[in-house]
Amino acid sequence: MTRRALIGTGAVVVGAGGLLVAAEATGRLDDVADAVGIDPKPQPDPDDTRVLRRAARATAELQAAVAATSAGHPGLDLAAVTAAVGEQLAALGGAEAPAGAAPPADQGAAVDALAQALDIACKDRARDAVTAGSPALVRVLAAMSAGHAQSARVVRSLR
Amino acid sequence: MTPTEALQAWLALEHEAVWLYPVVGARVDSLVKTARTSFAAHRDTRDSLVGRLRSRGTSPAAAALGYDVGPLTNADQARAAAQSLEARISAALLTLAGVAEDDLRAYAVRALRTSALAEQTWGAAPRAFPGLP
Repeated sequence: MTRRALIGTGAVVVGAGGLLVAAEATGRLDDVADAVGIDPKPQPDPDDTRVLRRAARATAELQAAVAATSAGHPGLDLAAVTAAVGEQLAALGGAEAPAGAAPPADQGAAVDALAQALDIACKDRARDAVTAGSPALVRVLAAMSAGHAQSARVVRSLR
Repeated sequence: MTPTEALQAWLALEHEAVWLYPVVGARVDSLVKTARTSFAAHRDTRDSLVGRLRSRGTSPAAAALGYDVGPLTNADQARAAAQSLEARISAALLTLAGVAEDDLRAYAVRALRTSALAEQTWGAAPRAFPGLP
């Protein structure tokens, strides 16, 4: 079964962050819905839209933290974590991250800081999953939370 | 799928885990400790699920006599079987999370995190969306 099939509505929701954010920004929700074959046209739950935006923003910040840690400590193998967070952010439609603080100069401290950031993201997405309205969005957020937990374990293994 | 059906699907996989890990431990010396830990965790989860289903007035799904998990003659095969099972549990939990509400949904989300970490314990690479194929 493909990821698209699993989440049913869909493909739709993993594309969903992008869909909703882009649609809101451009006012072309019907066009976007047509593109992914949703019929009737969705009326996004405003609360779910807020959850998606918050998740996308937080994931962009996480991606920036991973990139900064990787740049500051090139000896750390963060390829798997970089790939996972990048895939998550793409599924949410992307977002801009504000400039973040540089990682600690000490490599061990940098590892701890990144693992802690992933722990926080894990808890936040789990909380979002519990309160989200759309079942498909619930699944995406719950899976993201579990993915963050896996990434945190990878990072801690580098200590 | 109803929440009860999703719980039953999860329970069926927990039965399989309670069957699998003793077999792994018995056949692969290097995995005894990990298999023992996994067995205990899944036994506790199975018992918890049985209780939850009974409290819903439902008869819990019964265990099978045995499961076809492929050959288990070396560590690589055992790890592959364990990863496969934990990944199927993750998928079942994601289904449950999508159909459940409130406390049951929170329970499924927590359990999904546990099963995703169990996948890793048995050697799986990290994924962006554990539970999704």
